[in-house]
Amino acid sequence: MLGKLLKYDFRSVSREYMLLWPACLVIALVMRFTIFSRLDNVTNDLLANITNVLTVFTYVAVLVAMFIITLLFIIQRFYKGILGSEGYLMNTLPVKPWQLVTSKLICAMVLLLVSTAVAGLSVFLMIPISLQDILQVDFAVLWDRLMEVFPSFLLLVAELVLCSLVGTVASITQLYFSMALGNLFGKNRLIGSIVSYVGISMALNILYTVATTLLSISAAYYQELWNRDPVLLLHGIIWFAILSSAVLAVIFFFGTTYILKNKLNLE
Amino acid sequence: MADSLICCRGLSKAYGQRMALQGVDLDLGRGRIVGLLGPNGSGKTTLIKILCGLLRPTQGVVTVDGQAPGPYTKSIVSYLPDRMYFAAWMKATDLFDLFADFYEDFDRQKAMDMCRSLGVDPGDQIKTMSKGTKEKVQLVLVMARKAQLYLLDEPIAGVDPAARDFIMNTILTNYNEAGTVLISTHLISDIERVLDEVVFLQSGRVILHNSVDNIREQEGKSVDALFREMFRAMPMEGGRF
Repeated sequence: MLGKLLKYDFRSVSREYMLLWPACLVIALVMRFTIFSRLDNVTNDLLANITNVLTVFTYVAVLVAMFIITLLFIIQRFYKGILGSEGYLMNTLPVKPWQLVTSKLICAMVLLLVSTAVAGLSVFLMIPISLQDILQVDFAVLWDRLMEVFPSFLLLVAELVLCSLVGTVASITQLYFSMALGNLFGKNRLIGSIVSYVGISMALNILYTVATTLLSISAAYYQELWNRDPVLLLHGIIWFAILSSAVLAVIFFFGTTYILKNKLNLE
Repeated sequence: MADSLICCRGLSKAYGQRMALQGVDLDLGRGRIVGLLGPNGSGKTTLIKILCGLLRPTQGVVTVDGQAPGPYTKSIVSYLPDRMYFAAWMKATDLFDLFADFYEDFDRQKAMDMCRSLGVDPGDQIKTMSKGTKEKVQLVLVMARKAQLYLLDEPIAGVDPAARDFIMNTILTNYNEAGTVLISTHLISDIERVLDEVVFLQSGRVILHNSVDNIREQEGKSVDALFREMFRAMPMEGGRF
């Protein structure tokens, strides 16, 4: 059932992204052969300059659109798709609430990841480095040197990736949970959602401030840790961030499905 | 298989201070066409939304085919809401895909045939359709299922009298005869001829539940006449000033 839900969630946004992703890459390629190929011989041709400005503008617009549409999708597909009139269709399908939420969440994560990858790839395409230049670099030596200086480099990268993934899931589920709470506000659902979101964010801020204040009592201890093994401290901080985001994501996710299951109140 | 298809016991629903349903006890059997009748605000839509799992009751229990509303009951209930639920990107055929994926009892061929007879082009973008055409698409989706329970919330309220007969005929010629059809409406005379039994709701309470034959025999009048008689006095009561 989850697979079927995903199919329709992806279909609902496919048109936008099938246009945006290729557009981003194509414009990056255009920039590579126009703007960046002439960096050394700056032109005074007015028409060329105008075209360049327009190209850069379009590229930035497409990048911004890609992420804004993704953010809007995350909010709007949940607000309209589950709690709005489309909810009359989705909530009467023979599926469990957690499947509805999971499908939206997976779809949101995939769109964010692919958009990030496309943005990264577009920068790579834009800058005129030839493959030959890259291959001339002796990666083996570079790698050995890196491992020598920073043996836990790969682990750290993996941890940072995990940290940003879990952090993103927590942010998305916070949006979902806020909207689910807003659904309980009777006639003022939109205001209720916003108030819930701001409220949760403020509560978390206070919690973090209190936690860090408490921890900074032993600042000397951290200084000592840092002196002894800065890398270990770094790992510790990242894992703290991963675990705290994971706890939040779990609370937000099950809070959302609890409301959808027991308190659903469509207009 | 439970004896009665729908079973409500002490069912209440409050919206804040306002009680939309108050202690509703109701049993409905299988293979019946039931009219859920009452003036605006009497709790018809609330009862239907509880039955299809869109609302949770404040108090009391409700079962459909012996089970509380959930994935199983949703798989045997075909629901026509009182509003449009389409997403902007959809064509009617996208909805047929969706229904075919999620409901085992959805008959795609039947849906296409019904579209043809209703004059709807299923390849059209839904957002370009007129309100009446959209309503027809939703009706097609609902009636192309071989469901145990059809919950139709005001299926004829928005259309002209000529189209009402057409819609009622579509419902009657397509529903699963082993299943029950529950139709909510305040336009009684238009559907009276097809009803087996009626439930009168007033201020969230069931004030009458009887078969149409019994009403005609015992009261010697049509359901429409009885309804007018029972509800006519209402506005006068508070109006003596």
